[in-house]
Order: sequence, then structure tokens, then C-alpha cells
Amino acid sequence: MVDKKIGVVGCSGEECLGGTISRLVVRKMLEELRPGMVSTLCLPLFIAGDGGEREFAEKYPTIAVDGCSKCCAKRAIEKYSSAVAGSIDVAEIIGQDAALGKPLSTRNLTEEHLAYVKEVADKTCEIFDAILVK
Amino acid sequence: MSKIKVIPCSGVGKVLGLLARESVLKVTQEQLPNDTETLCLAHVVTGDDEVVKKIVGARCITMDGCPKYCAKKSVEAAGGEVEYSYKVPDFIKPHRGEDHGTGTYLTEDGWKFVDELAEIMVKTANEMQEEVI
Repeated sequence: MVDKKIGVVGCSGEECLGGTISRLVVRKMLEELRPGMVSTLCLPLFIAGDGGEREFAEKYPTIAVDGCSKCCAKRAIEKYSSAVAGSIDVAEIIGQDAALGKPLSTRNLTEEHLAYVKEVADKTCEIFDAILVK
Repeated sequence: MSKIKVIPCSGVGKVLGLLARESVLKVTQEQLPNDTETLCLAHVVTGDDEVVKKIVGARCITMDGCPKYCAKKSVEAAGGEVEYSYKVPDFIKPHRGEDHGTGTYLTEDGWKFVDELAEIMVKTANEMQEEVI
């Protein structure tokens, strides 16, 4: 068992489906896929924080999970903390049209959406595991 | 007239952030889609040009999940006019003892609380509209 934690930070964007998926991927990593090995924080807190939060990516190798190609999480982490250890653009994995679709309440998630979450989470796990063995 | 911006923190660590997010989606997508809209807070905090144009001087309601007020502070920093700032814990007292779920999914009680939070924002948005008329 490796004792280091890896940061996974999503954008949680409110304007497109990709943001919803980024959020669910972070939660899936925390709760199901790598429990006890993931650390996260809210992106706005990371940026608005009093300094402690901005040390996050210096403390943990961090993977950014962004819902669209604007890559807000990745850009913010690199601007305010340090280079990310890995990054995911949900739109690259599930396609632009799907990622830029209407934001979704978790009440309305379908099997198709959950399949997107799994696909993106699997890719995140690949990056996560590659960082662990470094 | 431009739509009222309703912006949640969408905090990822606890259920409070999800309650904020879901209540705002309910207002902007289901209850008042013609009068309100949400903006991506990640775009706001990173200063995305398109979103900054929309938010500067705009009338806003924010719903935060915790007393750190990330949504309120970020919207103000981007130039939005936060006329009403709410936070989920302010309304939780009558719901003490209930299980609202997690940062991933809400329970039935969580969804009832979302409906209540959404109603508060709908009432506020309607009052804001009336002030203009």
C-alpha cells in the first residue's frame, strides 16, 4: 500500500454536462475507486483561499479534471500553485457535443451519463496509478 | 433585460455544496428559466472573458455551501452585484437530524431541502424583478 495521497480537483462547472461529470468523477475516485488515497478541494476555495489551500498542489501531486477545453481547474492550479501531475479534459473523452450539453441535475442522470462518468474515471485512474508508481 | 444570475459554490467535499448546486439548477432550469441563468463559477474565478462580460454589473444571487462564501466572494471579485447572498447552513436548523446524502447523491430529505432552498431563491428573484418594474 502506498502511503501518499494524490489530489484530484474537478471544475464542477455549472454550465455544461462536462462540469457535472468532472464533479462525479472526483466523487467516484474519493468514494469508490481510490478511497483513502485521494485528496480534493473545491476549485473556488483553492483560488479564493487564504493561502493554505493554494499550497495544495505543492503538497500533493494533483490531477485536474476539467469539463471543457477551457481547462479552468488545470489553469488555476498551475497559476496559483504548481504544475499539475496530470490532467483530464472530459470533452476529449466523451466528445465536445456531449460535454457541452446542458448541465444536469444528479436527479436526471441516465445510464448513458453514468457510462460517461465511468469512462472518464477509468482514464483518471490510469493517470493516478502512473503517478503512484513514479 | 438581462437575466438574474444565480450562482452556487458547487462545493465538492460535502453535501452542502451539492445542495447549493442542485437548488440553483432547479431555479435556473425548471422554475425561472426565462428570468434567471447560472454561470460557471470556475469560469468566473479564472476570469474567462465571455463570463466576465456577462457578470460585470449583473444582478446576482449566490448560494454557498459554507461560511467561506466562495461563490459570493468570487462573483464580487469578478464585478457582479451580489444583491442576495445565501448559504445553505442558514436554513438547516429545521432539518437537524435529517440525512441529506453526500457530496455525490442526495436522499429524499436532501431533495426536499433542495426544493425549499429553490423556493427561497425563486421568491428573491421574483422580488428583484418587481423592484425593476
